[in-house]
Amino acid sequence: MEKLNIICIDDQRDVLAAVQKDMLYFAPIAEIIECESTAEAEEIMEELFAEEKPIAMLICDHIMPGENGVDFLARLQQDGRFRNISSILLTGLATHQDTIEAINRAHISHYIEKPWKSEELINKIRILMTRFVIKSGRDFKDYMDFMDQNTLYNEMHERY
Amino acid sequence: MNFKKLFIAILIPLLVLIIPTEWIPIHNLTLIEHRVIAIFILATLFWILEPIPIFATSMLIITLELFMISDNSIAFLRSGAGTEGFGTLLSYKAIMATLASPIIILFLGGFFLAAAATKYRLDVNLARVLLKPFGSSPKTMMMGLMIITAIFSMFMSNTATTAMMLAILAPVLAMFERDDPARVAFLLAIPFAANIGGIGTPIGTPPNAVAMKYLTGDAFISFGAWMAFAIPYVVILLIFAWLLLLLLFKPKATELKLEIKSSFMRSPKALTVYITFAFTILMWIFSDLHGISSYVVAMIPVAVFLVSGILNAEDVRKLSWDVLWLIAGGIALGMAMENTGLSSHLIESIPFGQFNPLIIVFMATLVAILMATFMSHTATANLLLPVMAALGTNLESLAALGGSKMIILGVTFSCSIAMSLPISTPPNAMAYASGQIQNKDMMRSGIIIGVVALGMLYILLSILKTIDFI
Repeated sequence: MEKLNIICIDDQRDVLAAVQKDMLYFAPIAEIIECESTAEAEEIMEELFAEEKPIAMLICDHIMPGENGVDFLARLQQDGRFRNISSILLTGLATHQDTIEAINRAHISHYIEKPWKSEELINKIRILMTRFVIKSGRDFKDYMDFMDQNTLYNEMHERY
Repeated sequence: MNFKKLFIAILIPLLVLIIPTEWIPIHNLTLIEHRVIAIFILATLFWILEPIPIFATSMLIITLELFMISDNSIAFLRSGAGTEGFGTLLSYKAIMATLASPIIILFLGGFFLAAAATKYRLDVNLARVLLKPFGSSPKTMMMGLMIITAIFSMFMSNTATTAMMLAILAPVLAMFERDDPARVAFLLAIPFAANIGGIGTPIGTPPNAVAMKYLTGDAFISFGAWMAFAIPYVVILLIFAWLLLLLLFKPKATELKLEIKSSFMRSPKALTVYITFAFTILMWIFSDLHGISSYVVAMIPVAVFLVSGILNAEDVRKLSWDVLWLIAGGIALGMAMENTGLSSHLIESIPFGQFNPLIIVFMATLVAILMATFMSHTATANLLLPVMAALGTNLESLAALGGSKMIILGVTFSCSIAMSLPISTPPNAMAYASGQIQNKDMMRSGIIIGVVALGMLYILLSILKTIDFI
């Protein structure tokens, strides 16, 4: 079974550590990569792409020094290599306008407000992970313990 | 990709290939047959160890056959043609034709029906209507769900049927109490019913398709005839599975309300789907009456749905071509073993005649069920059925029990009744992925059903023999 990569971007080390702790749950099937800026994330994504390593999703903060999260995710939408990667915006400081931008330009899959509940984050990631596994033609049996059942059943039913 | 497995799966057949032909203890073995043995061993290792997807192995088999044993193979590999001990080369056209053999077309027809039914929500709507008479008691409801799942899986893939039924069921199960055993009962009932239901028709599950390849000539079984004996078997197994699950996981809840939000579509295209669906199935069932073979009938849904635009290019791309290719590889493997003469040479060299034919049948079905428990049902059928077909036609003692028809049906059904582990079948895996059933629950009930199904299978075969069907 191939390990999937989840990229977490946040300028605060303690937030990254907290996300990493929640993500331990997915350790058997996923590699969690921590980045402190979008520039660093981009570099890593280029590297993963070049090595043909699968990027399952991004978990991204919004307000950060340098480029902010929404702008970064919106920019990825223009990049054919990365535009289909699901993203979760994990932020506490987004304004109303930022949120609109996140939906309209960055096409985020989910918005989670800080402080977050581990369970909510894990459940959402399970859903996105399931979709990624099925859509990318991987065998769900390899990731069986980490699938979201409703998503799995609906996706499998549509694939005749 | 697992390189260690891949290495083993390539190395062993390679060793078999390079040893002198005389070393292989099969009398009169030709060079071509020797190569087929290497390909067969490669297929076995690839399908058991699964270093690559199983359908990729099928394509590898077809490619290797073309390059190693066809009349269009690499020049130096066929330079000995015509000399003694070389053997017969296969026609490359025949090898390629396995990809579009009548059996593949039959399955393609089934895929078209299923795709249109899913797209026009016929499946969900039928489930909704058919479930109504089963009331709201969990016990009757479970029976209803199992019957519907089984019926659908006779014409749709077991996986898609399970996915649909679990999608309907999952929100309801969430409302049961955490410790209500009914959760487990329902989550097992659906995949089990799908696995069992697949036995019902020649297109119910891929192993049946592989079996059809060997059921030719005297052993031919029509679509309708298959259903005539398979459906009673399915019904009895379903009832048994239902009772067993209720006994092992007694539901606490007294009411189960299933709300399926859907209504029959009424567009002209939807009506065309309904009519074509019913018409094709009727044509299949009554193929003995009108004389058009089920293979030819299978083109009806293909043509109707494409001409009417019910299925478009995107839908066609989404069909499970991998399943068709997986079956084609099995057909190609069987063809190579049969047409080169390897099958009969193999049987001649092993003194099967000394064994009691009953023990041969028992061992064959047991091996099938064990293999299918741990690996793909189709791959199991692909590997076992060519050998079984050879046994059936060459073994005098087996003829008294029903010959090749009997042993092929026995092994094919045995493939489908293996359902004791999450990895046994995709439906099992899907139910397991709900996270609400434990391995031991599935194992306990799956093993009991498997053993009873095997016993029932022997009874079925002896009945078929008594009425002179086989």
